[in-house]
Amino acid sequence: MTEAALRLLRTGLDATTAASLEACVRCNLCAESCHVFLSDRESASAPAAKVQQVARLYRRYHTLAGALLPRLTGARTLDDAALAELVEGGFGRCTQCGRCTLNCAVGLDPAAAIRFGRAMVSAAGLVPAGIKANVAAALETGNSMRIGADDVRETIAWLEEDLRATTGDPSITLPIDRRGARVLYALNPREIKFFPLSISAAAQLFHAAGESWTLSSTDFDITNYAYFAADRVAAGEIAGHLYARAEALGVRTLVVAECGHGYRSLRWEAPEYLRRPLPFEIRSFVEVLDEYLTAGRLRLDPSKNPERVTLHDPCNLVRNGGVIEPQRRVLRAAAQDFVEMTPNREKNYCCGGGGGLLAASEYTERRLASGRPKAEQIRRTAARVVVSPCHNCIDQLMELNRHYGLGVEIRTLAEVAADALVARPGA
Amino acid sequence: MAPPALLLLAAFAVAAASLAHARFGIGSVRTWLFAPPRARAGAAVRYAFTTAFLPWAKESASGHPVSYLAGIVYHAGIFAMLLALALSLTALQAPPLLANALSVLWGVALAAGLGLLVKRLADVALRAISVPDDFVANLLVDAALAAALAAALVPSARFVFQLTGAALLLYAPLGKLRHMLFLLTSRRLWGVFYGRRGVLP
Repeated sequence: MTEAALRLLRTGLDATTAASLEACVRCNLCAESCHVFLSDRESASAPAAKVQQVARLYRRYHTLAGALLPRLTGARTLDDAALAELVEGGFGRCTQCGRCTLNCAVGLDPAAAIRFGRAMVSAAGLVPAGIKANVAAALETGNSMRIGADDVRETIAWLEEDLRATTGDPSITLPIDRRGARVLYALNPREIKFFPLSISAAAQLFHAAGESWTLSSTDFDITNYAYFAADRVAAGEIAGHLYARAEALGVRTLVVAECGHGYRSLRWEAPEYLRRPLPFEIRSFVEVLDEYLTAGRLRLDPSKNPERVTLHDPCNLVRNGGVIEPQRRVLRAAAQDFVEMTPNREKNYCCGGGGGLLAASEYTERRLASGRPKAEQIRRTAARVVVSPCHNCIDQLMELNRHYGLGVEIRTLAEVAADALVARPGA
Repeated sequence: MAPPALLLLAAFAVAAASLAHARFGIGSVRTWLFAPPRARAGAAVRYAFTTAFLPWAKESASGHPVSYLAGIVYHAGIFAMLLALALSLTALQAPPLLANALSVLWGVALAAGLGLLVKRLADVALRAISVPDDFVANLLVDAALAAALAAALVPSARFVFQLTGAALLLYAPLGKLRHMLFLLTSRRLWGVFYGRRGVLP
């Protein structure tokens, strides 16, 4: 186990991460920027402590002083105990939200350094079993929930029928596997299994905007648990499935459903893993909705959502993805009483469910505890509805809602926007 | 050239060569090439090296005003001290007014350095992540600041300043003081990351 991790440490460390490991001065001023530390106040939860787990190994194998004077520099030999600590620190106490990076006094990237620790854990085969299982499923079947193409088609057909009945509009379609469409709308498999109404909401909005779009019955999955596991090869392969599907369908735009890490991994990371540009653009559904509104392709009536609404900023969509204002413009158009959390935008707190932790049941207790800053943010807004453009965050927010007795409704942006839709004249 | 000055000159050369070797040792920094940028990185890189240093720019500064101020003063004193160390190899003399100002700066910086050392010892979370290098590096820098102050007040103490400075420079490539070099790289990349993605400035 340790051999593979050591090989990665010796030969697979990129200069960007190495610079961060070298630049950390252990000032610990980043501690309060981390929601895990804020919730438990344990030294081991501070980002600097987690960075040092990796930095001590780095010094041992990459610096002269670390090799010759390990006690002076705190250098450490990579062994089973060190790997166990990397698992605990990198997965159990970190969601990779990057709030420490934004606030690092030195200006290094603690999240990237901790992610390299995850990569070493991954090389050693010690990734939490739930994450590992999802990676295997995505590699074997094209999606992390092993949903077959027939099941997808069946669900979509049922949704189309249901949508026509509920809206009274027989012209609404949920096209699937349609070559030549302008947009491929790619899904989080949880939508098919557990939240099909978010697909219906998106379909209503595409229909209202007059978009040429399609779903896919295969390789539709935007999630990427290998990205959470920091396994660049597997993460590239998983994203490559969806890229290949988009190319096969000949679309101009791959629209990523509301999923923070899905957007980040597809839009920003995987092209670098695969080292190739893409022949189509990648947009978040949030951006697309905003464009429809700006172009006058959608009309929304905020009075249809009269309750106070607040917005959660998914870390991978906002702080690490750069989609910051579009969801705000959509919400202002779709809801009568939209209030911001404090802090918000790129400074917002992680919900506690990022980094794949929702799939790592061994950390459930800490995951819920580390959601306390988010729960307190929500409570302070006195909102009745919390909107989150990320299905992963939605799962965590629903659990926080129960755990902390928040008494709110958790919804996607598409659902709120669809409820505010005003039928186009003649539609 | 007197022996302390020769030693200092050699120490400068060793430190520069060692730090350059360390920097080249991590390889070339991978830039992002394939995901099209949302915005240009340049503005965020400029932000990283300017506005991002302001006390309200980051929670790490705004939430710890005393540590932030101590850090700023400490590092200002260190930069001035390193410059003075280099100039001590020449015949240049600071004008009296500047020499007095530097004396004050080094005195305050020394106090800040010792304060940060006390904080590292007293703060449980900070102590938990500290290694001996943290204390050695701090004490060596503090000693150099004290020697700079002494040399400013008593010109005959210049050789002590040069010897202390040489010791600091010879130690610098070994441990955390390497951050003086690597923070330039990491800060630039910090700006590139947020700039390309359109998050900052």
